[in-house]
Amino acid sequence: MPLDTSTYNLALLRVDGRRWNELRRVHAQIRTQAAADGSSYLEMGHTKVMCVVTGPTEPGPRRGGAAAGGAGGGGVGSGGAGGKAEIVVGIVIAGFSSVDRKRYGRGDKRTLELASTVSNALAASLHTNLFPHSQINISLHVLSQDGSLLAALINAATLACVDAGIPMTDYVAACTAGSTSTYAANDEGADPLLDLNHQEEQELPGLTVATLGNSDRVAVLVCESRVQISRLEGMLAVGVDGCKQMREILDRVVREKGVRMIQEGTVEKGVGLGDIDMD
Amino acid sequence: MASSQHVLLSPAELAYLHASLSLIPPIRPDGRSPTQFRPLVAETGILPGTNGSARICFADGTEAIVGVKAEVERTALRPGEDTIYLEEGGLEGGDDGEEGSSEDKRKGDASWVEMTVEIPGLRDDDSGTAFLSAMLSEALLADGEFARRLWINRRFHWKLYLDIILISPPLSYPLPLLSLTTHLALLSTRLPRLKSEGDEDPFFDDDWAAAPYLFPRSSETSAHTTTSTTSTSTRPPITLLVMAVANNIIFDPSKEELAVADAALAVSVTSTSSHTTTADADPIRQAQAQEQEEKEGRNLRLLSIRTIDPPSRLTPPGVANAANAAYGASLGASGQQPQQQQQKSTAVVPVMASETEAVEGVWRPPRGGAKRAVLGALVQKVLEGGGVVDEVLDALEGVDLG
Repeated sequence: MPLDTSTYNLALLRVDGRRWNELRRVHAQIRTQAAADGSSYLEMGHTKVMCVVTGPTEPGPRRGGAAAGGAGGGGVGSGGAGGKAEIVVGIVIAGFSSVDRKRYGRGDKRTLELASTVSNALAASLHTNLFPHSQINISLHVLSQDGSLLAALINAATLACVDAGIPMTDYVAACTAGSTSTYAANDEGADPLLDLNHQEEQELPGLTVATLGNSDRVAVLVCESRVQISRLEGMLAVGVDGCKQMREILDRVVREKGVRMIQEGTVEKGVGLGDIDMD
Repeated sequence: MASSQHVLLSPAELAYLHASLSLIPPIRPDGRSPTQFRPLVAETGILPGTNGSARICFADGTEAIVGVKAEVERTALRPGEDTIYLEEGGLEGGDDGEEGSSEDKRKGDASWVEMTVEIPGLRDDDSGTAFLSAMLSEALLADGEFARRLWINRRFHWKLYLDIILISPPLSYPLPLLSLTTHLALLSTRLPRLKSEGDEDPFFDDDWAAAPYLFPRSSETSAHTTTSTTSTSTRPPITLLVMAVANNIIFDPSKEELAVADAALAVSVTSTSSHTTTADADPIRQAQAQEQEEKEGRNLRLLSIRTIDPPSRLTPPGVANAANAAYGASLGASGQQPQQQQQKSTAVVPVMASETEAVEGVWRPPRGGAKRAVLGALVQKVLEGGGVVDEVLDALEGVDLG
C-alpha cells in the first residue's frame, strides 16, 4: 500500500497525525526481569523491544562455529581481544512481530547487521577496558515492529546496560529521521521528519542516528535509502535533536526507577542523592 | 535446551538434596510443598498485533512470551473427499439444513498448527529445543480436537502459528513455563467472526470486539446455549513436569531438584467439556453426568506422557570413605577389611561393594529406567481429582484475558 505523501502539505500532519518534529509515545521500563543482571523493556509507538543483559561474565565455551549467545538472529561480538570485554549481541525477532507472520531464520543478514551495529554502538560507550577477558551478553527480543527498529534496539540495550550497572560514559540514545517526500520526487523543499513509523520507513528516505548523551557526538549513523545530499543535513539535525529528547526520556526512566528502589529500600540512599526529589 | 544441563553441585550436595527430598514429607530447598508450583506473574493480550499472546514470569526470574498468529489457508483437497464435495456441497453453498451435517464433517490436520520455540543462547535445531516443541505440539494435537477448531469450511482453514520465546536465560527446565504460557496465549486467542456461509471464500467480520475466542469461555457458552450451562469448556492442554525421588512425587521441580530425580515425566492433560453430556439423548443420564461433573469440577484427560532424561544420570558419583584411598581404603582385592565393612559377614571386596551398593550419605546417580509402578504413581497423582492440575487450571482461569 503506497503511502500518500500528498496530504502532508495540506495540514502538515503525518499519516498517524503527528507533526514533523514529534516523537511517538515512548514507554520504557528497566529491571523487568529478576533473573538477569540487567533488563529493560522499551516501546516506541508500536515497536516493542525487550532486552536482557548478562555479564560481564567469564566467556563461556564456544560451541561449534556459532558465537555464544547466538540465538535466533545469531550473535555478533565486538572487542574481546585481550584487555577488553567482548560485547555479544543476539537479536531474536519474534515470528509474530510483523503484520504478516514471518519466520526470521538464523543468520539472517539483516538481523546480523542490526546486532553488529548495536554491539559497536555500545562498545563506544561502555568502559569495556575495566573487564578484561570477559563477556557481556546482550540478548534483544523484538516483540512487535513498527519502524525505527534499530533505534529501539539501541535504546533498550542502553537501558539494560544501565540496569546491569556496567560503567559507561553516557547514554547512547538513538532516533530516526526522514524526509517528507520520496527520493524520486526530488523535492528541494521537503521537510525533515522525526521518528519514522513502518509505513513512512517503507516509502520515504530515512536514517537512524544515535548520539552519545547530551553531546552532538554521533555514535551511529545508518542510512539505507537513497536521498539527495542537500536534504541530509536537515534530516541529521532533526535526528540529533530527537536523540536529545530520547536521552531525556531514558534518563527519566532510570531516575524514576532509582527513586522507587530507594523508597522501597532495595538500595541505600547514597551521598549526593539529596537533590533527588523523593515525592 | 537439554534437561541434562550442567548443575554445579558436588556429590555431597546432591546426596544431601536427595536425602532431604526423600523424607516424608519432603523438604524442598525453596520451602515449597511437594505439589506446590513456583509463584508466577501472568498477563495476556500484551501484543495487539497478534491473535493471542501471553507472558509469564516465574518467581525465579524465568520469563516467556508466546504469540499466536492465524492466517487463512486453502485446504488441500484429497482425491477421495473431492468427489463428495462436487456431489453435494458445490451448488447449494450455504444451506442451513446442511450446516448440521457439515459441523460433523469438521476435521483438522496436524499441519494446521506450527510451533516454534526460541531459547536464547541455543541454536533452534538444538535437540533439546526440538524435543520441547515436539512435546508441546504433541499435547496440543494429541486428540485432534484442537485442529478441528481451525476448520472454516471444506476449502479453507486457519493456519495457526505459535511462537514461543523464552526471554530469560534457561535457569530451570523451561517446560512447565512454556506450557503454561502457551495455554494462556491460546485461551486469549480470538479469530475473526466468520460472515460467509458454507463453502464460499471466507469473509470475516472486521469488528474485533465480535471476534469469538478460540476456546470459548464458560460464561459465554452458558449465555448462548441452554444445555451446557454447567460445562467448563474444553481448555488447551497443560504439560506438567513431575519427578519422583525415592517414594515422593514432586511437582514443578527446580533445576537443582531435577538434578537428583530418580525419574522425571512430562505429563500433558486437558480438561474436557461436557460435549458428551449435551449429545447424550437420555435426559436422566445427562443430568447424572452433569451432577457428577459439578462434583468433580472438571474431567481431566490424559493426552500424552514423555519421559524426560533426568540430568541426575550424568552427575558424578560420590566415593564412600570405604573406597577412598585417602581415608585408608585398601585398593588391593585381598587386603585387610576396613573398619566400616567389618560388620558385614560376607567376604565382599570393599571397593566393589561401594561401587554397587548404596551407602548412606554417598551420592549415586540413578541407573536403569524408571520402574513401572513409579511411572504409574506419577500419572495417577497428576490425574487425581482436586489435585495439582485443578489448582493450576483454576489459577490460570483467574488471569484476566485482556
